[in-house]
Amino acid sequence: MQTLWLVIQREFVSNVLTSRFMIGFVVCVLSTAVAVFVQVDDYEKHLSGYNTAVREAEAEAQEWDLYVDIKPKAHRKPNPLGIFNVGTENEGANTVTIELGKPIFVFSSPMWGAPTQKRGSDNPFLAMFLTVDVVFIFKIVLSALAILFAYNTVSGEREDGTLKLVLSNSIPRDTVILGKYLGGMLSLFPIVLVSLIVALLIAGSSPVTGFDGNDIAHIVLIFGVSLLYVSTWYLLGLLLSVWTKTAATTLILSMFIWVVLTSVHANVVTFAVDKFSPYQSQPEGAFLQPAFDVWDEYKRERDAYFKQRGYDDLQASITWEPETSSTGLGSSSYTGGYFRIRRYSVTNVSKADTTIFQELLGYQERLRSEYADKAEEILNRPAAEQERNAKFADGLSRISFADVYHFAVGTIAGTDRQGYNDFIEGSRAYKREIVEYLKDKEAFSSRAWFSTDKGAADLADLPVFKHKRLSISESFARASVDILILFAWNIVLFMTAYVSFLRYDMS
Amino acid sequence: MILEIAIKEIYHNLTTLRFALMIILLPVLFGANALIYSLGDRGYTTQINAYNERVRQNRKHIREQANISLAELALRGPGDIPKRPSRLIFCAGGVNEVVSRSIKLRSDYNFSRSSGIEDEDYAWRHPLRLEYEIVSSGSNSTGRVKINWVFIGVLMSFFAILFTFDAIAGERARGTLSLILSNTVSRGQVLVGKYLGAFVTLMVPLVMGILLNLLIILLIGSIPFDSADWLRILGIVGLFALHISVFIFLGLFFSSRVSNAITSLVWLLLTWVCLAFVFPSLLGTFVSNLNPIPSVDEISMQRRAQLDQIEDEWQRGSPKKLKKSPSVERISVTRLWAEYFTAINRTDTQIADGHIDQQLQQVQLARDLTQISPIATFQYAMEGLANTSIVGYINFVKQARRYRQTFIDFVKAEDQSDSKSLHIYPVREGLSQKPVDPNAVPVFSEQISYRSVLSQVGLLVLFNLLFFIMAQVSFLMSEVK
Repeated sequence: MQTLWLVIQREFVSNVLTSRFMIGFVVCVLSTAVAVFVQVDDYEKHLSGYNTAVREAEAEAQEWDLYVDIKPKAHRKPNPLGIFNVGTENEGANTVTIELGKPIFVFSSPMWGAPTQKRGSDNPFLAMFLTVDVVFIFKIVLSALAILFAYNTVSGEREDGTLKLVLSNSIPRDTVILGKYLGGMLSLFPIVLVSLIVALLIAGSSPVTGFDGNDIAHIVLIFGVSLLYVSTWYLLGLLLSVWTKTAATTLILSMFIWVVLTSVHANVVTFAVDKFSPYQSQPEGAFLQPAFDVWDEYKRERDAYFKQRGYDDLQASITWEPETSSTGLGSSSYTGGYFRIRRYSVTNVSKADTTIFQELLGYQERLRSEYADKAEEILNRPAAEQERNAKFADGLSRISFADVYHFAVGTIAGTDRQGYNDFIEGSRAYKREIVEYLKDKEAFSSRAWFSTDKGAADLADLPVFKHKRLSISESFARASVDILILFAWNIVLFMTAYVSFLRYDMS
Repeated sequence: MILEIAIKEIYHNLTTLRFALMIILLPVLFGANALIYSLGDRGYTTQINAYNERVRQNRKHIREQANISLAELALRGPGDIPKRPSRLIFCAGGVNEVVSRSIKLRSDYNFSRSSGIEDEDYAWRHPLRLEYEIVSSGSNSTGRVKINWVFIGVLMSFFAILFTFDAIAGERARGTLSLILSNTVSRGQVLVGKYLGAFVTLMVPLVMGILLNLLIILLIGSIPFDSADWLRILGIVGLFALHISVFIFLGLFFSSRVSNAITSLVWLLLTWVCLAFVFPSLLGTFVSNLNPIPSVDEISMQRRAQLDQIEDEWQRGSPKKLKKSPSVERISVTRLWAEYFTAINRTDTQIADGHIDQQLQQVQLARDLTQISPIATFQYAMEGLANTSIVGYINFVKQARRYRQTFIDFVKAEDQSDSKSLHIYPVREGLSQKPVDPNAVPVFSEQISYRSVLSQVGLLVLFNLLFFIMAQVSFLMSEVK
């Protein structure tokens, strides 16, 4: 034990006293500080945009007095952990408008003004710069530092001749390799810690970032995963240092692997999967026709019912237009417009007999929301296909542990693709909640659905969209696969380095 | 003597591990790049087809409007102005990966209606204006480095470091440096020899990779390169050479400064990681944060407020109120409507033009400042030659504005030849109702200028000179042992 501690101490001191430690420290802390500064600014902007949107939506909600008018909105709340890992925070829709007969779907082409909309992103041209956040810096700079610390642990000492001296003492080889690993990690630890503390201080100094206990727990978890990641790189450097004869070769080889794993691999995979997607999907336009067919089916079913109930008799007193904007498949067609009722015009409401009309509405609106769900399922297929392709690409990317780290942190922070899909799913659940609410109130067949003459609609207890953040255990469970992969890499690399060093030929 | 040193250096390099690694990595990357950009929707063929389709539709649109009447054409506008896709997009993606490829010069789809008019419900279209729809395309690809020639160039700078870090420090450690210098050879000659050796070792595989890449692209992607394109590709190879040579000098500088080869490599790698990954993007976003512009929401609020004010003035206010709909008989009313349309149009144009100018300026300032990193300079020069740079986009926007003026001038000139017309410009009733010859309508053609590349080339040459002098001085001053 004593000897182990000695080896650790020696390794630590020899690392800390080098110029690379100082430089690495300064580079890491400085770039983290700048990145957090930029991201906090972004977060503030997003949050104020979110608050404005919520306020506007509330003001809008005040003006609803007919049930048919209500268009509640689901707003995506900016994630404070996005300061550390931007992920999908700047992508995708920020607001989903819920309407009774409107499918919620995401098409990739902006031509189809899907019901999801994006709050104004500030300057799209800035997307030309890479998004640099804390996790990016850890992923790139810290990993490079870990290699720079590890490359000469064995091969360098061998060149200097000190390795022989160390081993000629009565120190077992396993203690030496363990001590070298722990000593190296001990010298990397303060860099990670100080960078994160600096990040937290800068983020905390902003008045809008109120980190609660849950957030702090997530950040601690991110810190742990970052250490695991750094350790993986250190072990790789250590292993190569055992395997190669000179320190220069170790460094060249490990930096080459570093370049391939951090930047080449994932990009080649994403592009390759993008190009030769395993799940071939039809063009998005192909899904429109089936969706329109659903709409036609709905109209047929409704008309049959109307005929049976004798709607024709109503026409004298009530004219209403249950049709939608009847655009074809041309360039201006707009699927969101389908399943939407354009207007009711009941002439002389106070005198007309609206009981049958109300009954018809009660039937029709219920039917409409059911059919809209059917259409939603069809319109979501392209997104589902894309999701499967993306998952496949992610799976291939996981060969590189740099990407495993990225995925793990994205999952923990809740800024990965899954986090965004959760929001879309959440807005669907919200829509179902709204429909249930209307059904419970029997709003479809009520008079306040279309007219205010006998009192406005009572919308006091209309459900509001609640954004759900994952608890720390849920996040951990989600990220567990990635964390396990990282852990497995650590074990494998350590065992290989350990065994290789035990069999190391000193000659 | 220089040649002998260079040849010795090349032979030495050929047998090293790093050379083997480079020889493996380069063809893989060039091959991947060629396949990615010659197949699928990122490929040139798909893009040019989409572009041609757009142009064709545009022509059809103009023909249809022109056959109805000049007034219709004047109000509806010539439609989309697509930006021609670059054939060299596989070299540098640049702004093309980020923004949409066309600017619209048209009026809204919607009719506006006024019910405050006495005689009838008058519906009108607002006159044409430029719409810049900057939708970021390829949402999930942001934040990732693209496998294009720029990225390969970044990797080449990495290899340049690997080939030079021990060029002097290593010889010094082995003791061979003093042997070389004991000959009748000056230190400058040794340095140049080392430089040439590394340069040739790097450039030969690179040029071969480029040839492989072009071969695949020509065979599979069937991109029709013309002579100008070949010239640009030649220019790109020149940029590669300049870029690589900057990092060779940098490597030689560190190598002669530091006593130990490994120390020089550590320093070089740290510098390179900062220059390539952290520095440009971080500085870019940082600078643009320091120089904030109004957000899209603010702009649209401002626009709404100003338009409301105009509406108040013209629809509800008493002195200027539009009481009647415009028609050929009521000249003064038509004039009023023209004023009203012009006011709206001016506001809309000012705000839209101003906003995109601000956005472009912001990002250009950020880009200008990041040129302190030679890697960023190299990237912008590549984008400039591939015609995907932000400067190219700014030029495109300017030309679209010029075209708007040309188009309006054409409408006014054509209107003058019709004696029955009232010659009141943005009102349908005030313009000629006769059809016009569709072939006489001016069409948009983009002029591409590569002048902006010159400044980056100059900067790269400057970097070369600077690092050369630094390497030279530090080598001259260094100890042999």
